Amino acid sequence: MQIDWLTVAAQILNFLILVYLLKRFLYKPVTAAMAQREERIAQRLRESREREEAAEHEREHLHERLQRLEARREAILDQAREEAEAEHRRLLEQAREEVEQRREHWHEQLRQERRQFLEDLRRHTTEGFQALTRRALRDLADDTLEDSMIRTLIRQLPELEQDTLGDLRTTDRPIEITTSFTLTDAQRQTIEGAVQRHLGGAAELEYRQSPELLCGIELGCGSRRLGWTLADYLDRFEDRLGAALDADHAVAEHAAAD
Amino acid sequence: MTISPDQILLWQWGPLHVNATLAFTWLIMALLTLGCWLVTRRLSTGPEMSRWQNLLEVLVTGLREQIREVSRQEPGPYLPFVGTLFVFIAASNLLSVLPFYLPPTGSLSTTTALALCTLIAVPLFGILHQGPLGYLRHYVQPTPLMLPFNLIGELSRTVALAVRLYGNIMSGTVIVGILVSLTPLLFPIVMQLLGLLTGMIQAYIFAVLAMVYIASASAERRD
Repeated sequence: MQIDWLTVAAQILNFLILVYLLKRFLYKPVTAAMAQREERIAQRLRESREREEAAEHEREHLHERLQRLEARREAILDQAREEAEAEHRRLLEQAREEVEQRREHWHEQLRQERRQFLEDLRRHTTEGFQALTRRALRDLADDTLEDSMIRTLIRQLPELEQDTLGDLRTTDRPIEITTSFTLTDAQRQTIEGAVQRHLGGAAELEYRQSPELLCGIELGCGSRRLGWTLADYLDRFEDRLGAALDADHAVAEHAAAD
Repeated sequence: MTISPDQILLWQWGPLHVNATLAFTWLIMALLTLGCWLVTRRLSTGPEMSRWQNLLEVLVTGLREQIREVSRQEPGPYLPFVGTLFVFIAASNLLSVLPFYLPPTGSLSTTTALALCTLIAVPLFGILHQGPLGYLRHYVQPTPLMLPFNLIGELSRTVALAVRLYGNIMSGTVIVGILVSLTPLLFPIVMQLLGLLTGMIQAYIFAVLAMVYIASASAERRD
């Protein structure tokens, strides 16, 4: 076991040189490379974290935008629904008004037609009645319609109440004889005779011809009226017919409403 | 029988001479420097790297981790000294599988040189960390009476470092030499394999102990 001090000194020198060489060629470059790699990895991690944060931010932004769009879509849909509802109500109201107008128009038309129909009926009935009565009277009693009407008037005179007779006697106004036809002189005389007989004295008669009576004769003084007219019959007939038509119309409307 | 490579003289000029220890040390130095230069001249800082760079990075990382574990300090300042101790002793011992090679660590001169380096490095690092007074104070602790014992301890552990490494490596060489003369075929090979293991363990022990001494000298401030 010997120690060669020269070798020891040389080995110390060798070792120090080796320390320097390894530091120069091994530790320094390898440590630097590892540090650089770690730095790069850290840098990449930072970048990836930043990218992730950016992506997250973007995702949140898109999410918010999506929600806004969704809300806006809902609002637009609501508005469209309201508008559609309003339009629906408006159209319904318009249709109802139109139906109402048409019904009104139809009713008006119906009333006009009824009026027209009644007028036509009245005219045709009058004409038919006149023709029929004339013929019947001529065939049966060898009489005229006008004479029959005058006789009916004369027959009704005694039925006048005493008050009325008194009023007629005392009045200074002429007694109106209204006819639908032209009275012959003989007929006038018959009437005058009958009136004077009942009123007991000379009465002033005034003759007038009116198509309103249709067919008939009427004695009138002031508000008093006496006689026979087809217009009276027809008025009553028209009233009844009108009532019947109204009843039918009411039933039809009720059925339509159900 | 040649026990120490110091005794093999290769060149002599007056008192100066070059023996096998120095020659093999230069060989190891040349191999290590050349290898490191070849690998580290094109270092990759990306994820892709050569297997040699990977080997060196594993080595350096392992050394740094060991130093950090032992000293509980940043390994930066200690790495060149302690790392070189380990690398040099490990390379010197591993190459003993080569024929006609004698490990320089089998020379007491080499191990003494390394132990002396450690002996000097310990106070150097201590002073570097704590200042001269701070370092010298720990020789008189816990009491000034302990000063001679502390000094003796300092020297004896240096001697122990040198003799432990020398003894282990030299004995391995001696045992193989003896066995070759007795059973020349299989047994020396097994012993040489065992020598590889012993060599690595001795390199580790030497480096770690050096680190422990340095750390104990430079850790006072933390306490």
